[in-house]
Amino acid sequence: MSAAVDTPFFYFPVARLLRIALTRFIVRRIFFALVLLAAVSLFTYLLFALLPTDPAALTCGKNCKPELIAANRVRLGYDKPIYEQYWQFVRGIFAGRTYGSGDIAFKCPAPSLGYSFNQHECVSTLIGKTFPVTAYLSLGSFVLWMLLGVGTGIIAALHRGKWQDRLTSLVTSIGVSLPTFYVGLLVLFSVVIWLQWLPFPHYASPTDNLHDFLTAMILPWITLAVLSAASYTRLTRNGVLEAMNEDFVRFGVAKGLKNRTVMRKYVLRAALIPIVTIAGLDFAALLGGAIVTESVFSLPGMGRLAIRSVTDSDLPVLVGTTLVAAVFIVMANAIVDIIYGVLDPRVRLK
Amino acid sequence: MKRRIIGVLGVALAASLVASACGSSSSSSSDTAASNDTVAAGAADTGTPTTGGTIHILSQLEQITHLDPQRNYTGSDLAFVGSTMQRALTSYAYASGAEGSKLVADLATDTGTPTEGGKVWSFTLRGGATYEDGTEVTCADIAYGVSRVFATDIIVDGPTYAITYLDIPKDADGNSNYPGPYKATADQQAVFDKAVACSSDGKTITFNLNRVVADFNYTTTLLAFSPVPKAKDTGEKYDNAPVSSGPYKIKSYEPGKSLVLVRNDKWSKASDPVRHAYVDSYVYEFALDPAVIDERLMADAGDDQYAVNDAGLQPENLQTVFNDDKFKDRRQDSYDPYISFTAFNVKTVSCVEVRRAVYLGLDREALRTAGGGPYTGDFADGFIKPALADDYAPNKMPDGLNKDGTPNIEAAKAALAEAKTKCPDVYAKATGDGLKFFHPDTPTWQKNISIWIESMKAVGIVIKPTAVEPSKYYPTVQNDKTDYDIARGAWGPDWPNASTMIPELFLTSGGFNLTRNGDDPAYKQFETDTKAALNELDRTAQGTKWKALNQFLVNQLWSLPGTFLKAQDIWGSKVGNAYKWASSGSYLFGELYVKQ
Amino acid sequence: MESTPLLSVNNLCVEFSTPDGIVHAVNDVSFSIEAGKTLGIVGESGSGKSVTASSILKLNSGVTASTSGSILFKGDNILGADDKKIRQLRGSEIAMIFQDPLSALNPYYTVGHQIIEAYKVHHRGVKKPEARKVALEMLRRVGIPNPEARIDEFPHQFSGGMRQRIVIATALINSPKLLIADEPTTALDVTVQAQILDLMKDIQKENGMAIILITHDLGVVAETCDDVAVMYGGRIVEKTSVNELFTTPTHPYSFGLLGAVRSLDKSARGSLRTIAGAPPSLLHLPSGCSFMPRCVFANDGHSKCSSIVPELELVPSTHSLSACHLRKDALQKLTTKDLL
Repeated sequence: MSAAVDTPFFYFPVARLLRIALTRFIVRRIFFALVLLAAVSLFTYLLFALLPTDPAALTCGKNCKPELIAANRVRLGYDKPIYEQYWQFVRGIFAGRTYGSGDIAFKCPAPSLGYSFNQHECVSTLIGKTFPVTAYLSLGSFVLWMLLGVGTGIIAALHRGKWQDRLTSLVTSIGVSLPTFYVGLLVLFSVVIWLQWLPFPHYASPTDNLHDFLTAMILPWITLAVLSAASYTRLTRNGVLEAMNEDFVRFGVAKGLKNRTVMRKYVLRAALIPIVTIAGLDFAALLGGAIVTESVFSLPGMGRLAIRSVTDSDLPVLVGTTLVAAVFIVMANAIVDIIYGVLDPRVRLK
Repeated sequence: MKRRIIGVLGVALAASLVASACGSSSSSSSDTAASNDTVAAGAADTGTPTTGGTIHILSQLEQITHLDPQRNYTGSDLAFVGSTMQRALTSYAYASGAEGSKLVADLATDTGTPTEGGKVWSFTLRGGATYEDGTEVTCADIAYGVSRVFATDIIVDGPTYAITYLDIPKDADGNSNYPGPYKATADQQAVFDKAVACSSDGKTITFNLNRVVADFNYTTTLLAFSPVPKAKDTGEKYDNAPVSSGPYKIKSYEPGKSLVLVRNDKWSKASDPVRHAYVDSYVYEFALDPAVIDERLMADAGDDQYAVNDAGLQPENLQTVFNDDKFKDRRQDSYDPYISFTAFNVKTVSCVEVRRAVYLGLDREALRTAGGGPYTGDFADGFIKPALADDYAPNKMPDGLNKDGTPNIEAAKAALAEAKTKCPDVYAKATGDGLKFFHPDTPTWQKNISIWIESMKAVGIVIKPTAVEPSKYYPTVQNDKTDYDIARGAWGPDWPNASTMIPELFLTSGGFNLTRNGDDPAYKQFETDTKAALNELDRTAQGTKWKALNQFLVNQLWSLPGTFLKAQDIWGSKVGNAYKWASSGSYLFGELYVKQ
Repeated sequence: MESTPLLSVNNLCVEFSTPDGIVHAVNDVSFSIEAGKTLGIVGESGSGKSVTASSILKLNSGVTASTSGSILFKGDNILGADDKKIRQLRGSEIAMIFQDPLSALNPYYTVGHQIIEAYKVHHRGVKKPEARKVALEMLRRVGIPNPEARIDEFPHQFSGGMRQRIVIATALINSPKLLIADEPTTALDVTVQAQILDLMKDIQKENGMAIILITHDLGVVAETCDDVAVMYGGRIVEKTSVNELFTTPTHPYSFGLLGAVRSLDKSARGSLRTIAGAPPSLLHLPSGCSFMPRCVFANDGHSKCSSIVPELELVPSTHSLSACHLRKDALQKLTTKDLL
């Protein structure tokens, strides 16, 4: 087989791209990302201030008299004006924050996102603990769903109108309309509780206990992958069909290229570019926390941390998780743009 | 993405509605009428316990609300932490049924000695108790533990009886002059050390109170009176890693995942007259979906045979569990500690005839049905639950009140007609402008309020509802300036003595008095009688006084008794001692054992 | 004596099955072309000309198309050949270029990559630098200025005309015997059109390849072609030399097409004339002559027009084949009057 026919899918002039990207693109990107993150954190603070729930009332115990609530508000720092709270927060990112005084003082070192009085932990510690779980969950299901979604999409497109296509379209139309929560519960009930094919998932980090990690992850991976794959199947199928009608694809065939080569270099390249964009953003959104999946499968991930912060009105955690999620979205946007530039030379020079 | 987030917020908000109540963990409701049923029979097996094994506790919570003994205040957590890791001066007997509300000694040699009519209490320490690191539990540690309660800027959420009762001066706002051990000056600390004094041999601890507290030895069952070694205190952070003085210690604690307890080999059975410590370890599994918990317990497979949960059955599974005989040995329908009620603002609804008209005409059956039917609970006949065996007696309910909870429109109209002549102002308000009804803005109450409006309309009384954001509901109605005529609430005792029910709910100094009854002509008498009961050192005589006061309250109707709330449970088939402990209404976790 | 044609298409029929029914895109089409010659295939869109051309390289969608007849290239039937055989023909012996140079090049690869790819697929074992040299030469040949610099650029960095030159370079990189050009200049402006056509003619002169030029533009035909086939409703309705088409058209549709062109020439002082009506639906072809509904000559006297499909027949005193029931002289009389 000749080398030219097998030029890598991502064939592009690396050096030049990086030059362009590094000089303008990335610098500008980072600047806007920082502005955006500042805006997101500020907006979260303001939104929180407007919420009808009273965080001080929520965290005070059984004997919840108005005076206790007021004292509690002071303890949590919600008595200060919102701009001052925000300023403390911003300063903490750079300087860290110290809570309490004397023997019982403790510090959340920079970059401090604050301290959760509900969970008795620095927010950065909480995120540091929960993020790997979410990352493993996201990564695994992402790989699975891309393989599944793109694979079935291509199969459906190549067999357009035949049973493979119709079956795929039926399955995906069910898939996209199913709520994750119920599918997750159903999977958990049937595989673990009724059939007992797997032990009940007890998450452990893969370095501590690979077996527990895998048994805890396999069902969430599959659930998330199968449900998310459905829309990717559709996207891929339509993209491939559309690409197959392109003149340059016909021209490629007319050159005498093998079907496989045409498929890879001409059809898929064209069809997958928009999917890469969406996938990047979806993946970033997942990294911010796969809330429902984590809840159903009791995975101690960042999504559950976020949802709990909403339930508890735990502002530091709420802001922390929101920010981290925003960082991922912003980063994903930038990365997607760069990848897009790599994949589509027409975008590169603009 | 967008849809995902909105869905999630929806879930979060719904969750916050349920979690917000201060007074009661129960979101259900309904109202009144006598039921003399005894505590519903449980199937709990109390056969011969065996040693060893692991008990699993399945929980939808993300973590134990507080492991810090001074911050622990909820029934289930008190029972779990107290029976496994934190000892106190006194305790309730580790036994099922009414026996479980009997006071016994724990760290102390007996249940305490009152002097000066109950204004000074001393406890002699048993000795021999040790922490998990082998050091001895000292009198100073107990005093230090109590002192932490005063650090209200750090040690929050816990019961504050120490602040209320101890003989330490307060400022005009009711705040103690002693700011807790972290901030206290030497002078301030000296004041505390005088109020809570250790004898020179370290064998006796004496509490000097600012008033007579006849049942102070009940107060000391609270973990707020547990020892904390000063050297190990980390303040705010102590909550995640308290030092154990009980038969178990923390092996690992990962909020959101699990808490694993293993045997504390420094604990000696000889020093502990209360705890049996049958099993070798406990695994508290957090953050499980409630549906998953029920399903696992029903399936009873693998380790779930050794599992209990900490929050009862979901309503949708009640029929399955209680209609199927295969669950008959591992299910229970029992009272929880709470009573729901509807309080009048006695200042504005100062006419007992109007209050009686409301009670007689209210469709309590419809309210109970809306809340989930009979599993919600029984119609309450007062403000003391039958579980407080020393203090409970059936009350004589108002004439014409239907036992089945249905409204008696005729009787209600008759009462209202009486009001028209006796108190025309209140009558005019009730039938004209209407009575302002404050309720939390929860799905249950959105249903309930229309039942209220409809059944009052049949009597001729106008209800004007105000829905309050759930987390703000209690702060709102506990605020003296809030202008309500009727408000709903629920309350449970802090220990098995009506002293934590009736005074809290009806004394103007009480912790949860929504009735604003201070100006009512009957209040003076009530206050005098209540204080007499509080000061009565003889438990039987005290019980008699509470029974009379309970009947008095039903006659006055400052508040309408609602429901003796119930909870339903299922547990794994190999769990022994799965009874509900009278003092907490939850399992006595430390007494569970694994059946061979 | 006639030599063996380079390509002969005989009784070609192509049908597509669609949800609405069977589309009869090409019906019984036959023609042939010799080396060094240029055959124009003329017709409106939907006349089947592009489908006919695509059939030669079996480029019609395999799933829904069914093809019958024979296509002989150098005496071998292409229609019966397997995929591998066809792939060997594509781009090496028979090349094809498409209407829109803007979309014919793969936007994700440099033009050099695409030309080299086209070369190497038929020249296995040739090293890349060598292939690059061939590509550069070809780019120079088609008139790309400074090809060394531009070979690594992407298609979107070129103008439309330049792109069509690159397409041609790609198509001709393997010196094909036959070039099928499907409306190669339609998307280009007039001056660029002429340049591209000149380029094609020049190369043809050099290497003696045959060209099948598909177009709806009679001006292009007049300038480039030797012979011409006029297609209508999926059939060839007239087949003749270019000279004869323009001097003595023998089919009413050809008259119409010429009329459209001439009136366009005279548009400064006259009305723009087009053929009234619309081409027939290939889903439901009329039972007789498919042009009849639009034919200004068909009248009540010629009942055959509406019932019998006319055969392609030699028109007396010409070298043209025409598929029309009308007698030629009657036709000519009417047309002269009609046209002038």
